[in-house]
Amino acid sequence: MTEPVVAPNDPAFASNPTVVVTNTSVWFGQKVALSELSCSFGPGVTGLLGPNGAGKTTLMRAITGLIPANQGTVRVDGRNPRGDRNVHSFMALVPEDEAVPPGLTARQLVRYSADLRGVRDRDAPARALQEVGMLDAADRRVDGFSKGMRQRTKVAAALVADPTVLVLDEPLNGADPVQRAHLIDLFRRLGAEGRTVIVSSHVLNEVERLADRIIVVVHGRLAAAGNQRAIRDAMNDRPRHVLIRADDRRRLASALIGLDSVAGVQFDTDTLVVATSRAAELATSLPVLARDLSVRLREVRPLDDSLESLFRELVR
Amino acid sequence: MTLTRMRVIVVYTLRSCIGPKRWLGCLLPCVGALLFGLLSRTLNEEAANAFSRVAADGIFALVVPIGALVIGDAVLGAEVRSGTFHFTWLTPTGLTQIVVGRWIGGTIVAFVTIVPACALAALIAGDSQAVGASVIASAFGASAYIAVFIAIGCVARRAAVWSLAFVFLVERLLGAALTGIAQWSPTWESRAVFVDFAPGSANSLVRENIPVGAGAVVRLMLITVIGLAVARWRLSRLQLTGAAD
Repeated sequence: MTEPVVAPNDPAFASNPTVVVTNTSVWFGQKVALSELSCSFGPGVTGLLGPNGAGKTTLMRAITGLIPANQGTVRVDGRNPRGDRNVHSFMALVPEDEAVPPGLTARQLVRYSADLRGVRDRDAPARALQEVGMLDAADRRVDGFSKGMRQRTKVAAALVADPTVLVLDEPLNGADPVQRAHLIDLFRRLGAEGRTVIVSSHVLNEVERLADRIIVVVHGRLAAAGNQRAIRDAMNDRPRHVLIRADDRRRLASALIGLDSVAGVQFDTDTLVVATSRAAELATSLPVLARDLSVRLREVRPLDDSLESLFRELVR
Repeated sequence: MTLTRMRVIVVYTLRSCIGPKRWLGCLLPCVGALLFGLLSRTLNEEAANAFSRVAADGIFALVVPIGALVIGDAVLGAEVRSGTFHFTWLTPTGLTQIVVGRWIGGTIVAFVTIVPACALAALIAGDSQAVGASVIASAFGASAYIAVFIAIGCVARRAAVWSLAFVFLVERLLGAALTGIAQWSPTWESRAVFVDFAPGSANSLVRENIPVGAGAVVRLMLITVIGLAVARWRLSRLQLTGAAD
């Protein structure tokens, strides 16, 4: 097996990894779901981003051993999750699927998970349900729950054994805003406690709030990795847009157009939108230019620094 | 810990895998068994003779496999298809424990539905001496079938179709023609158990070159072990891609 060549500060690789994915490919018949993907995950929350069909769920299933890698290796704490069943004593998955075992109450489902993981503390299921705000509904059947309640019950079933590696596939699906905020706080706390938390979500601003580190998967390949800004910096050759609100827009615009770092200037009603491929250079030269022209800058802000716009560029 | 996990899996199987529809699906063949008992009374033969022929062709060839199919598919294959099996698979529980635990759960269900129905059928038929044989044959037959259907549930997505094909094409069609297949068929072996143990059974039902009586019980136990081993092996290679896929 060829090990990936890892640069010392390669953002795709965590400094203290617990989950290591090496040259991993997974295919289903003719469809390639993951293609030679290499990355690693360490303590803290890592967000997994990508459009539908990008391979996020496949990656999570490969990490937890639900599906085998056709090529490459996946290791969790140095062990193969497909072959070593003890991995599941410290790793848990919250899958995206809505399916829950019929006929069980939330308490029974969490208890089942606890018993199979060897949790002896009889109060652990109640604590896990309390943690996700489901204690009041603990004795109701899970197959009668809403999507959000099912997700929270599954999170409780995953948390009951106090796992050190937690893989969460769209865990906030169906949760209302209050529950979302609560779960985000919970996941951040789990990450801060030193657990490896891997979260995928299609709600990008939630990932921004959740994750210290982001891994972007597109078409089964690693598209980018790092924090939001690091990913943005790695894409410096792509145009970015900066909104500028200033006193004398025309004079500033004509001066800006002469800068090498500016690709174009667009007038809006009371603002300028500057297209640049070298944002850092623009950030340095803009205040100098404004001072020289005696133009007062009222507002300068990037228009496309949100993960959403970043993501659009990555998948383009 | 091993026993605790096994108990937990058995309880889960009874609570979650066998839902109301499955219970109903299992009870329908049981009603069929009782009707076969009544049917044997209409035959113009000695009760023991009549019931043994009805049991051989109706109960052990139809009621037991269909009832066991409903149970055997529910305890594992249906869960894999529905996407909830990961709640069990993603735990440190050994795969052998999972398979055996599910089989025990399914066998318990068979023991409270199919087996009493087969015993009751003998009583309804007026052949009370065949009750013991009916119980032994249906118990071992159902256990073997459940193991086979668990294995098929792990191998094939359309488990019900493949299971029916196994019963009707492999066992009934090929098994009737080829003794080599009949020797490994729960239908033929449970029938051989019954015919040997039930006093006054029709001699014409004894088939040559396949084990009868205790030998057939051992053969059914072997089929059970092989079925569970195949399920265990298959489980280690299963791709759990979820319900949506």
